[in-house]
Amino acid sequence: MPDTALLALTWRITRRRVLASWPAVAAALAFPAGIAWIGIGHSYGTAAKLFYFLLPHAFLLAAQDAARTDLESGALENMLFAAGRFRGFLRAKALVAAAWAGGYALALFGLFAAWGLALGEFRPADLVKFGLAVLAGLYYAGLAAALGHWMRGGANVLALLLAQAAATLALVFTAGARTGFLDHVATGRFPGLGPKLLFAGLAALLPNVVVAGRLSVFTAEVLAGLVLVWAAEERLVRALELRKGTRP
Amino acid sequence: MIEARRLAKRFGAVEALRDVGFRAPKGAITALLGENGAGKTTTLKIVLGFLRPDAGAVAVGPGPVGYVPDRPAYFPWLDGWTVLEFGRAGRNGPAGGNGRDFRARVLAAARDLGFDPALLRRRPGTYSAGNLKKFAFLQNLAAGPAILVVDEPYASLDPPSVKAVRDALLGLRESGATVLLSSHMLAEMERIADAFVVVRRGATVAQAGLREWRALRSARTGPDLESVFLRLSAP
Repeated sequence: MPDTALLALTWRITRRRVLASWPAVAAALAFPAGIAWIGIGHSYGTAAKLFYFLLPHAFLLAAQDAARTDLESGALENMLFAAGRFRGFLRAKALVAAAWAGGYALALFGLFAAWGLALGEFRPADLVKFGLAVLAGLYYAGLAAALGHWMRGGANVLALLLAQAAATLALVFTAGARTGFLDHVATGRFPGLGPKLLFAGLAALLPNVVVAGRLSVFTAEVLAGLVLVWAAEERLVRALELRKGTRP
Repeated sequence: MIEARRLAKRFGAVEALRDVGFRAPKGAITALLGENGAGKTTTLKIVLGFLRPDAGAVAVGPGPVGYVPDRPAYFPWLDGWTVLEFGRAGRNGPAGGNGRDFRARVLAAARDLGFDPALLRRRPGTYSAGNLKKFAFLQNLAAGPAILVVDEPYASLDPPSVKAVRDALLGLRESGATVLLSSHMLAEMERIADAFVVVRRGATVAQAGLREWRALRSARTGPDLESVFLRLSAP
C-alpha cells in the first residue's frame, strides 16, 4: 500500500524548501519574463523556439536538492523517517520535484499557448514540442537525482550545466571544421556513424535538442535514458543506509 | 516490544556487530550499555530501520516508533512548529487528533520538559544543544510513540532538564510504551531502567531482565551497575 502520509509530508517539506530558496523563485519568475520580453520585442516564433528549448531546464533546476545533502545533514535520522521511510522520502522527493516542475511547465505552456492562439501563431506541432520538452525534463530530473547521491547541494545541477556549457563551447569553437555536422543537426539527417554517435553524446548531455522534433532516433535515446536514470535512482535509493555516527 | 536476534553488521573491513541479541519488553525501560565503539548506535539504527543487518533479524512493534538521536538535526528551512506539525501529519493512520488538541499536547509536553514554547517560532538549527535535545523529545512525546528509542538521553542537558526527561521516560513506561535507551550514564540508567543489555565489541555479553535485576537491586549487598559494567567491559 502506498504511504500516502509520507507522500503528503514530502510534498509539504519540498514546497517549503522551494519557497525558502530565493534563487529558485527568482529563476521561476525570470524565465517567463525573459520569454515574454523576447516575444514582445522580436516575435512569437523566436520566443517559442527559446521557450520549448529551455523548458526542460525547469526540471533540472527543480532537482537541485541533492540526496547527499539530506543524508549528511542528519535530518533523515528523525522519527518521521524510521522503519526505512527515509528511502520512501528520498524516492518521493525526486518525484515531487519532477511534479513541481511539470506543474510549472504546464502552467507556462497554457499561458504561452493562449498567447499564441490570440496571435494566431500557435500550431498543433507545438503540443508535440511541449511533450518532448517534458520528456527531456523528466530525463534531467532522474539524472540530477541520481547524481545527487554523490554530489552535495546543487553541485549535481551545476556539474551538468558546466558540462553542457563545455560541450556547447566545443561545438562553437570547432564549427568551421564541422559545418557538415551542424547541417546534419539542422536537417535531422546524419549520414555516417561518427556524426550520429557525436550527436547521441550531445543528446545525452543536452536532451533539449530533441525538442526540434526531427530527431526521432535521438528522442528514443532520451526516452531510453529516462528509463535508465530513473531505474538507477531507484537502485541507489534502495541500497541507502544512514551510516552517520556508526563507525567506531 | 523490540526483539533483536543475532545481529551482524560490517562497514567494509570494520566489523561493527557480530552477535547482538536482546529483548526490550513492553511497558519497560531497557538500557543498552557499552563502551565507545561497542556497537550501540549501530544496533539502534538497525532497530529503527536506518541500517540493514548483514545477518540476524529485528522485530519491532506494534505501534508508532519514536527516536531521539544523540545529536538531533532538522531540515534547516523549517521552524519548530512546522517540524512538530509534520510529525502529526506525517504518519499513516490516526494522527493524534485535530490541530487544537495537538497544540495543547505540545504545550503541555513543552512545559513538562522545561522547553520554552516561544522557541518553536525559530528554526531548530538556531537552538542551543540542550534545547535541541529537548525539542527532539518534544517532537516524539507530542506524537505519542508506542516504542521510543533514545541515543544518549541526557547528552547536553542541565540537571533540571535531566530530571524532566527522566520523568518523561518514566511516564512513557507507565503508559505501557517500550523504551530502549543507549547511554554512558550508568547511575542514571540504574535509576530508571528495568533491564540491561551490555554490548562489547559488537556482541551481547550480558542481559539482565526485569526479575533478575530487581532481585539483584533489592539485595543490598548486590553489586552496583558500574562495577558490573566495568567487569563485563574489561578486556
